[in-house]
Amino acid sequence: MYRKCAAAAMIAGWVFFSCAAGIAHHSVAANFDSSKSLDIVGKVKEVEIRNPHSQITLLVAKPGGGVTEFYVEWSDKNALLRRSVPVTKIHVGDMVTVNVSPSKRLPNLGYFRTATLPDGTVLKDCGFAAFREGIAKGKTGCEENAR
Amino acid sequence: MKNALMAALLIAVSVPAYAAGKRAELDGVWILFRAEIGKVQLTPEGEKKRAAYDYQKDDPDFQCKPASITRVMHTPSPPIEVRQHPDYVEVNYEFMDVRRRVPLKKGLALKDAPYAARNYPHLGRSVGQYDGEALVVETAGQRAGVLDTLGVPGLYQSDQMRTVERFIPNGDKMQIVVTHQDPVYFVEPFTVTFNYLRLPGGKIEKWDCKPEEATFERFIPNKK
Repeated sequence: MYRKCAAAAMIAGWVFFSCAAGIAHHSVAANFDSSKSLDIVGKVKEVEIRNPHSQITLLVAKPGGGVTEFYVEWSDKNALLRRSVPVTKIHVGDMVTVNVSPSKRLPNLGYFRTATLPDGTVLKDCGFAAFREGIAKGKTGCEENAR
Repeated sequence: MKNALMAALLIAVSVPAYAAGKRAELDGVWILFRAEIGKVQLTPEGEKKRAAYDYQKDDPDFQCKPASITRVMHTPSPPIEVRQHPDYVEVNYEFMDVRRRVPLKKGLALKDAPYAARNYPHLGRSVGQYDGEALVVETAGQRAGVLDTLGVPGLYQSDQMRTVERFIPNGDKMQIVVTHQDPVYFVEPFTVTFNYLRLPGGKIEKWDCKPEEATFERFIPNKK
């Protein structure tokens, strides 16, 4: 979408943007490929639920031995709490499978989609777009996150 | 009974204009539904700045700094809050803990207005007034630097930037149309329209951004 805008702008000789917010360099849509998903299996090293972005650090086994760090980027703390995501279910030391949208730029980075916890529970986050749609429909946001 | 009715009528009439009519609907906590950017035509200087923009080095987010009010509003998830008072309006933004207090003083020149966000003087001096049911906030005195990193990344503003924000109430919807005028980097004024939804029971939480946690280097192993 960004490329289309840029191309249109070049053809027109001036910059014309009417694209919705969120197509820029510092945004989820620009940095992560939401059309792809990747399962990352690893041991939770750190869980940092914070602003402006939350981050889970996983220790992932390398094929030849040893471990490497994989970073899972996630929404800001306030948004996760507003969406009733039960973030306290992820613990340091847990072996988890986190499904991510891979980064377009860095090989050791992905954006959170779901996490399968040691007891088989799947932690989901409906995301901001669904939350916003829920508000528009007169709901409280993402009811399913709290289940 | 007649006296009671008369008293009630007097109270109703004496309610300050800021709380009357549709404009009272502006009060509340709002979440961004959609933002639309109008036609942006950069000057050669603006093009040069945009081409040189490197988000890893230049994005003020990584230092926990709100680049501009436009940039603050462009962040989708943190809500904003509007509270109208007889002689000022509070606009509180969860993103980067921006707390703005805009005086509603007729005849107050922008150059004489206080910095609207005391914790972020680079966001400029603002004055507000009503135009019918809309709240209109004019701002000048913003520091030169990055204007926006979302929507259109790498837009810069000079210290000549002037903005006019129109807060338009519509029940549980609110629109803020921001017109930007800066002859150094933009050939003509352009608008960004932010469409908000009322967030029932919403509250502005503390953002508490820490640069060491926001830096791009958090993605580089052993540099955290």
